[in-house]
Amino acid sequence: MTLTSLYHLIKRRALPCAAVAAMPLFFGGWFKWLTGPQSTFDTHGPVAKSQLEVFYVTLWVTGITFVIVASIMAYAMFKFRARKTDDPKAVMPHQGHGNPLIELSLIALSVLALVFIAVPTMKAIWYTYDVPADQKATAYEVTATGLQWWFKFEYPKEQIDGAGNLITANELVIPAGRPVRVNLRTTDVIHSFWVPKLAGKVDMIPNRGNHLWLQADKPGYFWGQCAEFCGESHAVMRFRVIALDEPEFAAWVAHQKTTARTVPADAPPAGEPAAPYVFNNPGRNAPGYSAAFDADPMGAWKKQQQIEAGEDPKLIAEGRKIFQQKNCVTCHAVRGHEGMGVTAPDLTHIGSRTTIAAGLLENTKENLHRWIAHPNEVKPGNKMYVGVPTGGGNVMMGYMEIDRTSGKAVNTHIAISDTDARALVAYMHSLK
Amino acid sequence: MSAHAKTDFVGHDAPASPAEQRSWLLTRPTAKTGIVSWLTTVDHKKIGLMYGISALFFFLVGGFEALLIRIQLAVPNNTFISHQLYNELFTMHATTMIFLAVMPLSAAFFNYMMPLQIGARDVAFPRLNGFAFWVFLAGAIVLNLGWFVRSGAPDAGWFGYAPLTSTAYSNQFAGDMSTDLWIMGLQILGVSSVVGSLNFIVTIINMRAPGMTMMRLPVFTWMTLITAFLIILSFPAITIALVELMMDRSFGTTFFEVSNGGLPILWQHLFWIFGHPEVYILILPAMGIVSEILPTFSRKPLFGYPIIVFSGATIGFLGFGVWSHHMFTTGMGTVATAAFSLLTMAIAVPTGVKMFNWIGTLWGGHLQMRTPMMFALGFMWMFMMGGFSGVMHSAAPADAQQQDSYFVVAHFHYVLIGGSVFALLAGIHYWFPLVFGRKVSEFWGKLSFWVIFAGFNITFFPMHFLGLNGMPRRTAVYDGNMGWNDANLIATIGAMILAVGVGIYFTVMVYSYFKGDKTRHDEWDARTLEWTVPSTPPPEHNFDVIPTVHARDAFWYEKTHKEEIAKEKAEHAKAEEDHGGIHMPSQSWFPLVAAVGLLIGALFFVNHLMIGAIFGGVIMFLGVYLWAAEGPGGYHIHLDHKNHDKH
Repeated sequence: MTLTSLYHLIKRRALPCAAVAAMPLFFGGWFKWLTGPQSTFDTHGPVAKSQLEVFYVTLWVTGITFVIVASIMAYAMFKFRARKTDDPKAVMPHQGHGNPLIELSLIALSVLALVFIAVPTMKAIWYTYDVPADQKATAYEVTATGLQWWFKFEYPKEQIDGAGNLITANELVIPAGRPVRVNLRTTDVIHSFWVPKLAGKVDMIPNRGNHLWLQADKPGYFWGQCAEFCGESHAVMRFRVIALDEPEFAAWVAHQKTTARTVPADAPPAGEPAAPYVFNNPGRNAPGYSAAFDADPMGAWKKQQQIEAGEDPKLIAEGRKIFQQKNCVTCHAVRGHEGMGVTAPDLTHIGSRTTIAAGLLENTKENLHRWIAHPNEVKPGNKMYVGVPTGGGNVMMGYMEIDRTSGKAVNTHIAISDTDARALVAYMHSLK
Repeated sequence: MSAHAKTDFVGHDAPASPAEQRSWLLTRPTAKTGIVSWLTTVDHKKIGLMYGISALFFFLVGGFEALLIRIQLAVPNNTFISHQLYNELFTMHATTMIFLAVMPLSAAFFNYMMPLQIGARDVAFPRLNGFAFWVFLAGAIVLNLGWFVRSGAPDAGWFGYAPLTSTAYSNQFAGDMSTDLWIMGLQILGVSSVVGSLNFIVTIINMRAPGMTMMRLPVFTWMTLITAFLIILSFPAITIALVELMMDRSFGTTFFEVSNGGLPILWQHLFWIFGHPEVYILILPAMGIVSEILPTFSRKPLFGYPIIVFSGATIGFLGFGVWSHHMFTTGMGTVATAAFSLLTMAIAVPTGVKMFNWIGTLWGGHLQMRTPMMFALGFMWMFMMGGFSGVMHSAAPADAQQQDSYFVVAHFHYVLIGGSVFALLAGIHYWFPLVFGRKVSEFWGKLSFWVIFAGFNITFFPMHFLGLNGMPRRTAVYDGNMGWNDANLIATIGAMILAVGVGIYFTVMVYSYFKGDKTRHDEWDARTLEWTVPSTPPPEHNFDVIPTVHARDAFWYEKTHKEEIAKEKAEHAKAEEDHGGIHMPSQSWFPLVAAVGLLIGALFFVNHLMIGAIFGGVIMFLGVYLWAAEGPGGYHIHLDHKNHDKH
């Protein structure tokens, strides 16, 4: 091949050549796309690892098959194409009807290729289904319940005198290096429990006792999300999983079992009072995350466990009062304080959680204010705003009274002023 | 036998004596042009066209819905549309594309091409065929009515998982009509599909031209037959599910009502026993079209015809045994999961076989790279990629991470757009000269192909990465810190490009319909009977003489045995004229009347006005009764054959 003919080839095929040259760039970009907080490639436990291994097997088998089939097809397309469209009768191809030998051998080869996938698939189906028998004794057990649109986590092994299971919401804290069996329940529609870095999803289905198991090999902070469409705010039904080493986990459990922290109204302020935050409603769907948090989520979690500097005891006491006045206590529990409800997230230690509104917003004062004052803009259709149907066409009203024919919010039932919200934020953040 | 009976079937036309005339109500309409001719038509070609036009309209509607979805997802934390509207859009996008675009577009080809391919003058039950179309239109109206009522469009997903569809969740605060519309719309569409399919089965079994043995059927007709069987066997499952849901919502039963011991998982099983064969209902016609186009443009017969046919049947058969691979994450237990995993892998074999045979068809051919061929080759590439991601899903443990993520979205758009839609677009291009007698510009056709091809891949390839990077589907909004921003933006840009491509495609089609060059007969040097019609567009009676089939590629045989065929045709034409001429079915109003009754009944039922619903039912049964009372009808066409005596 002379240089000129090569030049002409390139000139004629400039577009395909450019495409081939751009390939590495294109492929290179993709790896960046697989490193998010919910990446299924960045596995941190045996279940997710096993699932990823099966994925790689399928990727190799289909990848190799693709290269072979695609090459043959590309060759056929190139080699046998008519050079001139205006001369269709140039050559009359052989009018053959097929070749059974080729066809049957290709069938046999396809079956063989599938066996390569089938064997590891079978092994992984049994492995990922339940905690391996030899580890059952050491496995920890929690129960996760999906509700529109948040997660409730119960610890059947952690009993509190007179209050039953330890209950938290939206942040599942587990011991690291130990299998955890998660019982999956729901009280309304179907949800799905998915922490990609730890394990693939299993659905929470009414009238069905599902479970999954997972294990975080090392302490870490993981993102999770509901993976089955569950109604209006499905997209913002998220949660977090925090794996702690054994002593830390034990300490966490011990603290969670205690009743809510009380800051007396007449307590002396601890240090300089913090400057009041500035609240501007950022509107619906506005982000509730920050780069600083994402850089060290575990550090952020640890910091969140500590009592905030500059607490204002008067404001906290005021918040506690408003929490009763505004009927929050009917749905939310604050163990040791007035909250008695069980239909909404348990807030006994809300101040120590890194996120609010079902893993959606970082638990900052501004975000909490936004969530309390404008819940419908954070999570449209949420029960705090629209109320809870109690059967027979009755509704326990939330912030708004909903018109029964149009479904639209018409009258305000619970009004939260800016001052109320500030007091509530102070109270919530005192509940470490 | 009375003269009257002779007129209805075969024999010479009876004299129209006024005394014998029937009442106006039972007189068959005879308009050949104008709106009445369309409303009363029983001509499979006109019905096919109406299916096609409606399907393409809804294809554009569904595409518009998809664009709104993509705009919302272009950037993180977007506020372009609300969560509620987003949920309505993805529900209606899927429902529209599956039931109102791809299925009826396939039905359009079944109607128009299948009778031509088997050498028939119409389908077995022409009025039933009209009824199937009008019922389809009624279902489409009911489904889309939600956009114009207060409660909005259906919003529970096209899969409508219980108990999200129960009154307890959809009617929490206000009466919700949208789910009722969805239930009723799908049930009506089911009637249309089943009625149409029975008609196609009877037609293919009974009305093949002499010599057209089953193993000489064009592959598209074979796939029509298999698809029709899939429809009549799978639709009962969803009908049961929908009736149970309707009972739950309207009459207080508790099939899926948890508080009274109902099982939501039952819905999933019933839905997917329908839903998975449905996937093959969408793809088999596409495979049939591609199996027609590849041989024509390779200028050689299909490679391994029997294997292609049998693999199609095997896919249809196995398609009923893999439904639970949609439910790998529902906690079925190890054995069931393993069984469905293996069966799903098994179904890859007959699918792969088709791929091999298509490549075999190209091999050694003389490939004419015309626009239909470009779309068909595009189909092969894209369907292959969708097939490979399908194999990945079959491995249940891997699927636990992929299920309900964007990886699945990528997979099924590769098989449904890259597969079904590419093949249907290829089919429109391929048969356009036959149906409209005009040519489509090669330049603009190919340009639309490349833009669609590029736009499609730019939209859906990045979605594989989104899914593997943990993005769940059916989410109206995502945060900007999840690593999903680039891929989503690229996908949205791709969707815009795809929209431009589709825009070019349809503009060219509309332009060609009015201004395209007239085609010569047999534009592509094709191989099957539909191209033997005496003129393009085909005359009402399709064939002057019913063809006699001597080989698998019947038209190819005719072209290579011209003298023998000419002699044979002359003989057959004389025989038919002696027998009374070409017998054609009469038009009728009653298919439309019955369908309108169904529509009225459905709309009242959705509003829980049972008297109105009964009224609609009465109209429907009145239509059916008069349909029976007007009798089979029929008339004769006499052609002026050169070598044949005039009557």
